Amino acid sequence: MGTFDYILMGIQAVFQGPALFSILGVSISVTLVMIFGGFLTGIAVGATPGLAGPVAMAIALPILISVFGYTPDALLPVMGFLIGIMKGATIGGAVPAILFNTPGTPDAFMTTLDGYPMTKRGKAKKALRVAHFASASGDTFSDIVLIICAPFLALMVEAYLDLPEKTALLILSLSFIATVIGGSAAKGLISTGLGLLAAYIGTGEDFYPRLSMGQPALSQGFPIATAVLGVLIIGAVLKELEDLWRRKRDSGTLPEHRDKGDQRLRGADVRRLLPYIGRSALIGTAIGALPGIGSTLAATLGYTVGKSRYARKKRPDAPEFGQGAAEGIAATEAANSSVSGANLIPVLSLGIPGNAAAVFLILAAESIGGFNPGPSVFRFTTDSVNPELVVAFGLFTAMMIANLLNWTVGGLFMRSMGVMIRIPKHVLLPSVLLLTLTAIYVQETRIEAIWFALGFGVLGYLMRAVAISPLPFVIAFILGGKLEENARQAFAATGGDPWFLFTNPGAAILMAMALAVIILTSRKQKDPA
Amino acid sequence: MKRIFKAGIAALGAVVVATSAFAADWTPPGPIKLMIGFKAGGGADTQARLIAEELEARMGWKFIPEQVTGKGGLNLANALKGQPNDGTAIGLVVTETLGYNMAAANAGMTPDDFTGLTTTAGFQMGVVARTDKGWATFDDMIAAAKAGQDVRFGAMSPKLADLAYLLGKAQGVDFNIVNVKGGKGVMNGVNAGDLDVGFMAGIQTKGVAAGDLVNLASALSVPLVQTPEAPTFGDLGVEFSADGYFVFIGPAGMPDDARAALSNAISSVVSDDSTKAGGLIKKAFGGPAAISGDALTELLANDYASAGALLDAASE
Repeated sequence: MGTFDYILMGIQAVFQGPALFSILGVSISVTLVMIFGGFLTGIAVGATPGLAGPVAMAIALPILISVFGYTPDALLPVMGFLIGIMKGATIGGAVPAILFNTPGTPDAFMTTLDGYPMTKRGKAKKALRVAHFASASGDTFSDIVLIICAPFLALMVEAYLDLPEKTALLILSLSFIATVIGGSAAKGLISTGLGLLAAYIGTGEDFYPRLSMGQPALSQGFPIATAVLGVLIIGAVLKELEDLWRRKRDSGTLPEHRDKGDQRLRGADVRRLLPYIGRSALIGTAIGALPGIGSTLAATLGYTVGKSRYARKKRPDAPEFGQGAAEGIAATEAANSSVSGANLIPVLSLGIPGNAAAVFLILAAESIGGFNPGPSVFRFTTDSVNPELVVAFGLFTAMMIANLLNWTVGGLFMRSMGVMIRIPKHVLLPSVLLLTLTAIYVQETRIEAIWFALGFGVLGYLMRAVAISPLPFVIAFILGGKLEENARQAFAATGGDPWFLFTNPGAAILMAMALAVIILTSRKQKDPA
Repeated sequence: MKRIFKAGIAALGAVVVATSAFAADWTPPGPIKLMIGFKAGGGADTQARLIAEELEARMGWKFIPEQVTGKGGLNLANALKGQPNDGTAIGLVVTETLGYNMAAANAGMTPDDFTGLTTTAGFQMGVVARTDKGWATFDDMIAAAKAGQDVRFGAMSPKLADLAYLLGKAQGVDFNIVNVKGGKGVMNGVNAGDLDVGFMAGIQTKGVAAGDLVNLASALSVPLVQTPEAPTFGDLGVEFSADGYFVFIGPAGMPDDARAALSNAISSVVSDDSTKAGGLIKKAFGGPAAISGDALTELLANDYASAGALLDAASE
C-alpha cells in the first residue's frame, strides 16, 4: 500500500460508493449527489443573511444522521454534504454583503465596505463576479495546500505552541483586531472589551453563573448565534431601516440601484486583481492552518494588507478602499475563502477545529464513528489498509469536486443573484429580520434567545451610530471563551505560575507584539493632528 | 460495601420489571419536553434525540427536544425543577449532576427535587496517555513524576479534578491538574502534547485499540473492559471513583404509572441494539446500563451523600 494507492482508494470511495441512481448506465454515487445538494444549499443559505453555513450545517446534521445511520458508509455522504454547505456558504455570503450592505456571514463584513459602494455605482454584477473569482481562487489554492501539507504542517505548528503561547497568540489577535479595524485604537478596544464582557456572562468553570445577577435567563450565558447575528445582522438592519426612513422622509422615494455600464470581468481586471488575491490567499491559508483563528481575522488581515498595497499602486482616478474598489472585494473574499481548506489541516491532523464549520465536520465524524480526526488518520500503513486515511482522501476528493462546482455552477448562481437587487428594501429588511430571528429560534428554541438577539441588535445599531466597528465585538465574543479556557489551562499546566505569559519566551515575544501593536497604532494617529 | 450496594441495584432492577404491567396504560397528557444537558450534535445529544425518535415510532408519544446546557447539568436541573411532574417534562444528564455537582454548587437543590427515570449507559473512564510518552504502566508515570517531571493531568469536571488531586496525594506526587471542556477536549490536549495524561470516558477506545493511546488506570471501581490489567483507583489508594451514568430525570413527585411507563419505554429502547439509539450506545459507550426505579433513587441519593465525603477529602 503506497501513498498513491491510498489516493486512488479515496477517489474511488467517492465515485464508486453506494449508487443513488444511474444516468445512461453510469451509476451516480450518493456521495456525489450529496456534495452537489450541499453546495446548492450552502449558496442559498450563505446568500440569506441570518442563515450562515454553520446554522445550515447544525440543522442538516441531525437529519442526515437519521437518514444515513451510524455506519462508516455514511461518513462520506454526510461529510460531503457538510463540505458542500461550507463551500457554498463562503461564496454565497458575499451576495447580500454586496447587494444589501448586510453580510450573510460574519467574515463577509469587510466585503460590504467596497461591495456595497460598487452596487450604489451600478456595478453590482461586476462586484459579484470579482467576489466569485477571488473566492473560488482562494478556496482552490487553500485546498491544494491542505492536500499537500495536512500531514505535516499542523503537527509542526502544534509542536512549537504550548498553552502559554496559545494564550498569548489569542491576546495578540485581539489587540491587533481592536486596533486595526475601524481606524481608532480606543474605539476598537471599547468594542473588544464589550465583546469579552458579553462572552463572560454566565460562563466560566465555577458552578455559580457569574455576572448573571441572579437572573435565570442569563445563567446559561448568551448563545453565540444571538450575539453574532444580533450585532452584525439585526444591528445592520436597524441602521438600514433608520437610513431608509430618513431618506424617505426627505425625498419620499426609496433608493434603487440599477446596473449600468460594463459588468464583465475582463482579462485586464483579472491581471489587476491577481496580486491581491494571491496575497490574501496566502494570508488566509496561513491563518486557517492555525487552530482557533478563523476566517474573520483572515478577511480583516487580507483587506488591510490589500489596502496598504493599493494605496501605493492605485491609479489616481480609481476609487479608494472603502469607496468601491474591486481590489477590496477581491482581497477580502480570497482571504476568507482560503481559510476553509486550510482550516481542515488542524481538524484532520489534530482534531482541533479552527471555525464553526470545522466543528460540525468533527461532530459528524464523531457521531457516525469510524473516523477519528487526529494524528492516527495520517498513518500510511503498508501492511494493511488504514480506513481512516481512505476517508481522509475521500474528503479531499469531495472538496475538489465542490471546487469544480464552485467554478461552474457557483458563478452562474451568483450572477443570477444580481436580480435580488430589484427586491425593494422595505420588503427585504423586515424579511431579513424575520429570517434571522427564525434562524436563531431554530438553533436555540427558547424565547430568551429572541430577546437577547434583539438586545444585541440594538447594541449593534448604537455602535454603528457612534461609528464603533461591531466586528471587534463579535471576534472578542467568539474568542473570549477560548481565551479564558487557554489562560486557565496555561496557568494550571505551569503549576500555578501567575507570570506564565512572560516567563515563557515565546509567549513573552507575542505579548510584546500585542502591546507594540496598540502603541504604534495610537502614535500613528496622533501624527496628522 | 460498594459491591453489596451494586448487588442491591441488580436485585431491585428486577422489581421494576414486575411493575411494568401497571404502567402499560399510561399515555402522556401532551407532548413531552425533552431537555438535553449536552451540546447539540455530540454523542450524548444524539443519544437523547435517537431515543426520542424511536419512542415516537414505538409508542406514538410526541417529543420536543431542547438544549439546556452548562454548569455540569445544573442549568438543566434548575429549569426542569419547575416543570409539571406529569411526565410531560424530562431531561438527560449524568449522575454526577445530581451527585457531586449539586452538592458542590450548593445550589439549593438535592436529588429529592427530581424523579430518577432510568440510566442508559455507563462510562469507561480511564486515565489515558499517549503511547509515545513512553509510559507503559501507571507506575512508569509516577516514577517520571517523582524524578521531577511536571505531569499535566487533564480533567473535564470538578469532580474528576478532585479525583486527580486525591490520586496524586495517594501516590505522593503533585499533578498540574488542568480543567478541560469535555472528554474530547482532554483527548485533543493529550494528542497535541498540551497535556501528559487525562481522563477519558470511552472516547479513547479506538486510539487504545490502534496502539496510539494507553489506559494507565481505571478511574472506576472496577477494571476497564478494554484494559483489565490497568489498576483501579481503589488499587492506587483512592477510595472514591468516577463511576457514573447518563440518566433521564423528571421533576419530583412524578406519579408511579408515568415514571414506570417512561423508564420502561426508554430502557427497552437502549437495551435493543437493533435500534439506532441502542446501536449508538453500544458503539460509543460500551453497551447499555439501564438502572431504574428504587435502585436508581438509591444510586442518586448515595452519589449525593458521598459527594460531601469526596469534597472534604479533596479540601484537606
